[in-house]
Amino acid sequence: MERRQVTGGDLVRYAIIFALLIFFLFPIYWMIATSFKAPGDILTRPPRWTFQPTLENYFYAFEQANFGLFIKNTLIVAVVSTAIVIVIGSLAAYSFARYDVGAGHLMFFILSTRMFPAIAVVIPYFVIFRDLGNTVIGQALSLGLDRLGALVVCYTMFNLPFGIWLMHSFFQDIPVELEDSARLDGYSRLQVLLRVVLPLVAPGLAVTAIFCLIFAWNEFLFAFMLTRAVARTITVGVASFWTQRGILWGPLSAAATVCVVPMLIFALLLQRYIVRGLTFGAVRG
Amino acid sequence: MLELRSLTKKFGKTVAVNNLSIACKEREFLVIFGPAGAGKTTTLRLIAGILKPTGGEIYLKGDSLTGVPPERRNISMVFENYALYSHLSVYENLAFPLRARRYRGEEIQRLVQRMAGILRISELLDRRPGFLSGGQRQRVALGRALIREADVYLLDEPISHLDAKLRHRMRGELKAICAEKEATVVHVTHDYREAMALADRVVVINKGQLMQLGTPDEIFRRPANEFVAGFVGDPPISFMDVEYFEEDGKPGFRIPEDGIHLPASPEVGAYVKEKGLPAAFRLGVRATDVGALPLEDDMHKVPGEAYVTETLGYRNLLTVKLGNNLVQVVTPPELMFRVKDTVWLDLNQDNLHVFADGLAIAHPRPRAS
Repeated sequence: MERRQVTGGDLVRYAIIFALLIFFLFPIYWMIATSFKAPGDILTRPPRWTFQPTLENYFYAFEQANFGLFIKNTLIVAVVSTAIVIVIGSLAAYSFARYDVGAGHLMFFILSTRMFPAIAVVIPYFVIFRDLGNTVIGQALSLGLDRLGALVVCYTMFNLPFGIWLMHSFFQDIPVELEDSARLDGYSRLQVLLRVVLPLVAPGLAVTAIFCLIFAWNEFLFAFMLTRAVARTITVGVASFWTQRGILWGPLSAAATVCVVPMLIFALLLQRYIVRGLTFGAVRG
Repeated sequence: MLELRSLTKKFGKTVAVNNLSIACKEREFLVIFGPAGAGKTTTLRLIAGILKPTGGEIYLKGDSLTGVPPERRNISMVFENYALYSHLSVYENLAFPLRARRYRGEEIQRLVQRMAGILRISELLDRRPGFLSGGQRQRVALGRALIREADVYLLDEPISHLDAKLRHRMRGELKAICAEKEATVVHVTHDYREAMALADRVVVINKGQLMQLGTPDEIFRRPANEFVAGFVGDPPISFMDVEYFEEDGKPGFRIPEDGIHLPASPEVGAYVKEKGLPAAFRLGVRATDVGALPLEDDMHKVPGEAYVTETLGYRNLLTVKLGNNLVQVVTPPELMFRVKDTVWLDLNQDNLHVFADGLAIAHPRPRAS
């Protein structure tokens, strides 16, 4: 490659990028720094930039506040609800894309279930799960209050319309001739779906899964209203450091840091798919 | 072998295929030829089973295909956009139809290698279709269709989107491969050269209706109507509007504007006697059937005015004005005309197509040479 002269324009560009990065990354740096500070180093004025690092906050979060359980709960709820959304949503999106089921009205109806704020339904859900938890079926499927099944149902319901709409556009981008061709090559409808359509739409499914996971990972309102202790998730767990004795900044930062890491790893692993998925259709392969 | 009986397909109110009946023989290369929107691709899709006919039936080896899904018809097809599986390598694309039929591993390998050899894509087997050129993709698509033994091979404009040079070469290769396989082929194209070069028989369709079914020679020399005559041939056939008259009981034509007389064959007189005078008579002149000279002689008796001259190297193309009609004539390269020169044409009953209300009633006599 040819070496380019560094111009004044380049310097300005890099300066702007650098300033923006500081603006966006500073809160994250501060969170991580706070999580390693002893209580006396946290709320000082002026802020202390150098300090003796300690793991005390992490021990507190995991041993006193039982944060390990919250992470486990969140992982289970996020993964299970996402898996359900992908399975049901991809089949639904495929039939919408190829057979125009409901001539668009059904698609709109599905979207319309997202046209109200979550807070509007959280009280009815509270009542439903309270009563359902006392039935045999509700107990078998862990659908009561402070049960993981209830959260899985709620997150699935919230992610499904979004997932169907997103995957619908991915399925539409696949030329229908590919499916016709595979049929003539001797494959049944189901085989065509499994061997041709799904592999081609995989980046789209990955993008949908990431969005669903992020939603479930960050959801607060439903988790706050429907759980107490057993099924508590990380967002509610982080909020619980806001106690009557004051805000426990150290353990709160430690917990929040731990929450960021899995999503970060996940996003890095799937970055290839995210970029491909978001530009799907724009560039024909 | 393959038979369409009164096949009709409507999309809403649009009639894409209208009462089409065609029979294709075993090992025949049949070309469906027509302008854009004629219903060519729709016909192929009906045969493939991708579309369901509105009316009529399709028979393959004597059995009705009604209600038989595409995967159970033993038919293979090349799509216009090639429809390659972009997530699979070229090897897997070729192997795809074989895997559906549960061929054994070594058998698949043998057949794929052989087909890749025939199409000269052996060195591309590991690549994905996205990294191939248009010509290479077309070969892979062709290979995938031809790799298995199908009763009928459907080709939907497989070489129309290649550049001119490659198209020319693939035309020959395609014919050779199909002949070697002794395949029954239904090929769709809008390119008249392709149709003539490849076909055992040509089906000309327009607006979903059958215009003519015949060998390339019949289509060219004895077009059934003005549409076929005008659609086949390069340079295109020239049409002249003429009036009919009789003199001493002999039929003749007259160009209305300048009263030039042209002879008419006895068939034309017989036609008029039997069916009465049609609303319009038109004459069709193929540029290669007619000669032009700068001077009048026994043969060249019809005067016209040189209007446009085009030099094509191995021949010249001369457009002559006859009354309000323009007639194109191919002349030898050494014979040059200037615009407005008087040109003498040998228009006579032996080299004219005669159309009455659009339908052909007389054709040129076959020449001795």
